Amino acid sequence: MDPATVLDHQFVVAAYTVTWVLQLGYLTWLGLKWRSEKRNAARRTDHSR
Amino acid sequence: MKKIGIALYAMATVALMIWGFYQAIYVAPDDALQGYIFRIIYYHVPSASVAFVFFAVSLLGSVGFLANRRGHTEWAQVADAWAVAGAEVGVVFCTVVLITGPIWGRRAWGIWWTWDARLTTTLVLWLIYVSYLLLRRFAAGPQVQTLAAVLGIFGALDVPIVYMSNRWWRTQHPAPVFGGDPGSGMKDPQMLQAFGWNMLAWFAWGIFILILRFNVERKHQQYAEEEAQEALAANI
Amino acid sequence: MTRALWTHLLKDLRIEWRSKEAINSMLFFALLVVVLFSLAFDPRGAFSRDIAGGVLCVATMFASVSALNQAWAREIRHQVLDAQRMAPTPGAELFLAKVLANFLFVSIVQIVLAPVFLVMYNLRVEGNAWLLALVLPLATWALVANGTFFAALSIRSRNRELLLPLILFPIFMPALLAMVLATTAILTGESDPSLWIKLLVGYDIIFTTVSLLLFDVIFHAE
Repeated sequence: MDPATVLDHQFVVAAYTVTWVLQLGYLTWLGLKWRSEKRNAARRTDHSR
Repeated sequence: MKKIGIALYAMATVALMIWGFYQAIYVAPDDALQGYIFRIIYYHVPSASVAFVFFAVSLLGSVGFLANRRGHTEWAQVADAWAVAGAEVGVVFCTVVLITGPIWGRRAWGIWWTWDARLTTTLVLWLIYVSYLLLRRFAAGPQVQTLAAVLGIFGALDVPIVYMSNRWWRTQHPAPVFGGDPGSGMKDPQMLQAFGWNMLAWFAWGIFILILRFNVERKHQQYAEEEAQEALAANI
Repeated sequence: MTRALWTHLLKDLRIEWRSKEAINSMLFFALLVVVLFSLAFDPRGAFSRDIAGGVLCVATMFASVSALNQAWAREIRHQVLDAQRMAPTPGAELFLAKVLANFLFVSIVQIVLAPVFLVMYNLRVEGNAWLLALVLPLATWALVANGTFFAALSIRSRNRELLLPLILFPIFMPALLAMVLATTAILTGESDPSLWIKLLVGYDIIFTTVSLLLFDVIFHAE
C-alpha cells in the first residue's frame, strides 16, 4: 500500500475511534447519572418512612 | 416484561452497529474520487442527521414547556425533559460531526475547515446548544426551565438566518464546499446499502440514548419536586 | 412613547449621566481593543480597510458586553427588579427602555471612537460613507437588543458575566457577519453592501419582535 492510502486508513480509524470514544463515554456518564438518580429515589423513600 | 424489551432493543442496536460497520469497511467499495477516506461518510452523515433531528426535538420540548407551564404542569415537565435530552444528546452527536468532518476534509479536500454555509451553521448550532446547556447548569432557581426554553427558541430561530447569510456570503466569495449533497454522489448500490444500514444503526443508537437521557431527567425532576415538597412540609 | 417607557428611559439616562460608569468602561475597553489589533496586525493602506470593519465590530462587542453586564445589575440591587415586576406596566416597556438607553450609550462610544479609528487606521472611505451611518446603528441595535434580553435571562446565574457572551455571540453571528461585510464593502468600495444591510434590517426586526414578545416570560419567570 502506498503511503497515501496508509494515511487514509489511519484517518478513517481515527474518525471511527473518536466517534466511539465520545458515544461510549457519554453512555457511561449517563449510566452513572442513572445510578445516582436511582440512589436518590431510594434514599428518599427511606426518609419518608 | 419491559426489561426484556429494552434488552432486546439494545441487542438489536448493537447488531445493527456491527452490521453497519461491516458494511462500511468491508463491503462498500472505495470511492472513485476520494478512495478509502470516503468511508468516514458512513459515520459522519448519520451523526449529523441524528443531531439535527434531536435539536428539533429539543425545540419542540422548549415550545411545549412554555405552552404548558401554566396549564398542564405535568406535560410541561415532560416537555422540558425532552428539551434537555434532545439538546444534550444532540450536542454529543454534533461534536462527533464537527470532529469527523475535518478529519475527512483534511484527506479528501486538503483542508481541515472552510467557512461554507453548512459547516458554519453546524458550528453555530453546536455553540448555541452548548450555551443552552451551560445556562441550564449555571442558572439557579426554579426559573431555569423557563429561561432555557426561551433560549432554545431564540437559538432555533437563528439557525436558518445563519445558514442563509452564509449562503449569500458564499455566492460572493466562492470557496470549497464540503461533500456536496451526501446522497447524490452515491450511485453504487453497495455504498447506498452501507449508508442505509449505518443511518438505521445510528438512529437506533441515538434514540436509545435519548430515551435514557429523558428518563434520567424525569427521575431528577421527580426527585427535585419531592425534595421541594418535603422542605415545604418541614416548614409548616 | 408611553409614559412608562419614557420614565424608564429617563431614569436610566439620568443614572448614567451622573455616574458615567457604563460609558467610561465601554470607551476604555473599545479603545483597548482597537489599539491591540493595530499592534497585532499593523494595518496599512488597503489592508487596514479590509480589517477595519471587523475590528470595529469586535471592539463594539466587547465594549457592549461590559456595559450589558451592568445593565440589569443596577436593578437587582435594592430589589428594584422586584418592584418593577409588581408594577402594572408590561415588562416589554422596561425592556425597550433599557435597549434604547444602552443603544444610546454604545452609539456615543462609537461616535467618540470613530475619529480615533480613522486616525489610527489611516482610513479613507472609498464607497458611500453615509451608508456607514446606516450600517453601524443597525448592527448596534442587533447587539444591544439581543444583549439586553440575554443579560436579563442570565441574571440569576452564578457565572452571569461569563454566560452572557457565551449565549449572545453564537446567536449574534449572522448580524456580526453582515456588519463586518457591509462595513468592509463600504470602506473598500469593492462590493455592494445592500444585501448585508437588508439582512441587518431583517435580523433586527425578527429578533426585536421576538424579544418583546418573550420578555415578559423571562421577566416573570418564577
